[in-house]
Amino acid sequence: MIDGTAQMEQSAVGSRPSADDGGLILEVEDVVRRFGGILAVDGATFDVAKGSVTALIGPNGAGKTTLFNVITGFYRGDRGSIRFQGQEIVRRPPYVIARLGMVRTFQITKALAKMPVIDNMMLAAPDQPGERLYNLVVRPAAARARERAVRARADELLAVFQLEKLAQEYAGVLSGGQRKLLEFARALMTEPTMLLLDEPMAGINPTLGARLLEHMHQLRAERGMTFLFIEHDMEVVMGQSDKVIVMAEGRVIAQGPPDEVRRDQRVIDAYLGGGAAIGSEPRR
Amino acid sequence: MTLPLGVTFDAFTDFGFWTSVGILAGTYVLFTLGLQLNVGYTGIVNFGQAGFMAIGAYAMGVLVVKAHWSFWLALPTAVFIAIGFGLLVGLPSLRLRADYFAIATIAAAEIVRITALNLRDVTGGNQGLFGFDESWNNLSDQITSWLESLGWSDPEQLFPLFIVVWVLALIATVLLHFATKSPWGRVLRAVREDEDAARALGKNTLAYKLQSLAIAATLGALAGFFVAINLNFLTPEAFLPAFTFIGYAVLVLGGLASYWGVAAGAIIMWTILEGTRFIDLPISAEREAAVRFMIVGLVLILLMAFRPQGLFGKKEEMVLGD
Amino acid sequence: MEARSIPSAAHLPLRERVRELPAVRWARLHPESAAAGVIGVLVLILIARHGLHDVAQTSLNGLTLGSVYALGAIGLTLVYGILKLTNFAHGDFLTFGAYMAFLVNVTWGGPLVLGILFGMLATALMAVFLEKIMWGPMRARGAGLLQLLLMSIGLAFLLRYTIQFIWGTKVRALDVNVTDSVEFLGLRIGRTELIVIGIGFVTLMAVGLMLKYTLLGKRMRALSDNFDLAETSGIDTSQIVLFTWILAGALAGLAGVLAAEVTNLRPEFGFALLLPIFAAVILGGIGDAFGALAGGIVLGLVTELSTLEIEPRWKTAVGFAVLIIVLFVRPQGIFGKATAI
Repeated sequence: MIDGTAQMEQSAVGSRPSADDGGLILEVEDVVRRFGGILAVDGATFDVAKGSVTALIGPNGAGKTTLFNVITGFYRGDRGSIRFQGQEIVRRPPYVIARLGMVRTFQITKALAKMPVIDNMMLAAPDQPGERLYNLVVRPAAARARERAVRARADELLAVFQLEKLAQEYAGVLSGGQRKLLEFARALMTEPTMLLLDEPMAGINPTLGARLLEHMHQLRAERGMTFLFIEHDMEVVMGQSDKVIVMAEGRVIAQGPPDEVRRDQRVIDAYLGGGAAIGSEPRR
Repeated sequence: MTLPLGVTFDAFTDFGFWTSVGILAGTYVLFTLGLQLNVGYTGIVNFGQAGFMAIGAYAMGVLVVKAHWSFWLALPTAVFIAIGFGLLVGLPSLRLRADYFAIATIAAAEIVRITALNLRDVTGGNQGLFGFDESWNNLSDQITSWLESLGWSDPEQLFPLFIVVWVLALIATVLLHFATKSPWGRVLRAVREDEDAARALGKNTLAYKLQSLAIAATLGALAGFFVAINLNFLTPEAFLPAFTFIGYAVLVLGGLASYWGVAAGAIIMWTILEGTRFIDLPISAEREAAVRFMIVGLVLILLMAFRPQGLFGKKEEMVLGD
Repeated sequence: MEARSIPSAAHLPLRERVRELPAVRWARLHPESAAAGVIGVLVLILIARHGLHDVAQTSLNGLTLGSVYALGAIGLTLVYGILKLTNFAHGDFLTFGAYMAFLVNVTWGGPLVLGILFGMLATALMAVFLEKIMWGPMRARGAGLLQLLLMSIGLAFLLRYTIQFIWGTKVRALDVNVTDSVEFLGLRIGRTELIVIGIGFVTLMAVGLMLKYTLLGKRMRALSDNFDLAETSGIDTSQIVLFTWILAGALAGLAGVLAAEVTNLRPEFGFALLLPIFAAVILGGIGDAFGALAGGIVLGLVTELSTLEIEPRWKTAVGFAVLIIVLFVRPQGIFGKATAI
């Protein structure tokens, strides 16, 4: 396990200075999540390097989305430690984790259907004085100015993903693929340090999908943004990621560069054992 | 004109009748604006609004009558107490799902009412609390003089109350209108749409829900003051859960996403409710009272069955269906 | 590599830290024992302060109240579990049942037994009628939960005030013996109260046996537990739904009559009972019929026992306070399963 021994020697309490120790932005250790009698996540341990693109794969029911939920605070982990940029975040509320810079998207998109696309986008921008009642009364000019800036940024991002014509439409009328793009664009509005994407490519046509990936690499290169995504499309996984983490039955069974992982016997067994071969997972 | 069975419509031409209806409607606009912010904009089902009304009214009444505070000091203090109670109830219960939150708020409201009923020494219990409206009467007289100076001879006695209620209702409507169009309002709507999405974007949704509840508490307390002044005395009977449900009937009548709908719904509802009081049907007063509430129930059922977006709501923005 | 348990909780909010205290963790894992323990300790404290006789005497009153709560709660919880409907009109089912019994027992002068049976039958029929013309069609249209909830409130108003229209607000009473009392073990209980406890417990046992051992009962519990799963296993859901309403209506009607035997009849009395019944349902774990039964009895006992410490007129507030405490501490109830966050 990469850096496993180094982790054991570190103390757990409180936050350590900056994220440059070993360049790890996310350290997950022995995370357990139980539902009734079932161990959905059974001692997952892995880490993610700053500025990397990492894929999380595994057969259906391996616990990938559950793990995302625990990492981002939507589920309460029963055990384990999760450190983001050196700070312990296990069981902190999801909005705190998002504000710390780790933002996630959802497998079944959460586009706010009865709100216009542009509102979806503008909602996500950080540091909006207009979101506090106090500022609306006492500093309205600052609120208005930021709102204009947010609007400009939102229009910019929508254009990148060719959604600008839909800005005034209710998000509910968008197609599935468009909603995935909206959710990605919306997540980018938050100016995150690390993005956790749950099946970002599902339902998107190849051209736009390529754009999304291009944008991802651009953000990584220009801003050092880190990406961790769950995907079933093996071409994307093998072709785009620096590191692949494989889960099966709640456990991390392998992690490393794509070529290494794809040849790992345990990984092959996990997929074949589940009745599927690597690369032939159906897209949902 | 007298119809068969002795039904008369004389009341409908009586200015006093319409003033009375107007006061009740205006009070309910304030009351229901709080519900609309909660249900229509934030997605929280607050069934305890009558409790906030009770706290506002009783806090004001007790401070004036028992503690001899100035009326004008007691009013804002009572509002703060109502807000405090709202936060106290909201903090633990807003993390519950919608129907549990609704039940928790009714329970909280009933605890308030039972306390008002049983703390007889302080609140007067069922006997009622009197004597808090002296300052109001002075203000009312001043307004009456002002109206007379404008040329209106012998204005209706309750008209000053009508004016004050509707001025406040309009101010509240305008303020809420701007607040909900702001970025703050945008977060509220996101909380209603999908709370997890809002949290994933870094919004502290609990804080927003608490603010929504606190504003509803303020509006409820204001409505409580007007109920107290209108009745001239305070009794726990005026704050039964039934009144919260009437507020909901007004809300769904007017359409959940429309402010003018709240005003229209309130006027329609109270015209119906008060109107049946003045039509001289040949049945006992008790039965007339029963009929009024039967109508409220029927309105709720029929609206939910056939027009859940209310008279003025849009089907696309329908908040009630999941 | 040795597995580490959770790191120090210093960075977590207060609520999380309380959850991790050893005593609290044990209670979370063993809720029934923890609840029994808490109640046991409270009862012991009361016995120490007031003596066994007073506590036992008050407990008898508590059992009377508890039977009413339990009978009302079972119907409410099953309707919720199977139909996901929070039926605010359930309290008025109790009122309806009581007034139907009044019709037979007082207006027509029949025996009380007939009144009880008629009350149960009439309420069951009304419940089925409402399912046919209202709940069924609304579900078929895909009505939302809040929509149905508001509709049930409208129904509650309609029921209660129709009753008030017909019978007025005058307080009425069933033709029962309110003076005779029975003595045993040094405790005194009114004959009528004893009958209420008797009928209540026999019915609760019968319902409990039905739910546990009959095919119908098992199917009802399966549907209440997980509707979709049970449906796919071939159960005729519409038939079960019908039986659920019949049972809920009959039990509510019985609860109403029994309550009317020991108190009085007013149009609002059912709604006044609704909140404590909700409390019993939530205490026991919503959707769980046995939990509702236990919750009802416990709530009745707690409400009555509280009068040893506080003035009786505050009794009703106790039910609400219990409700709020349960919602804050363990919303899934004593017997409910823990859910994600």
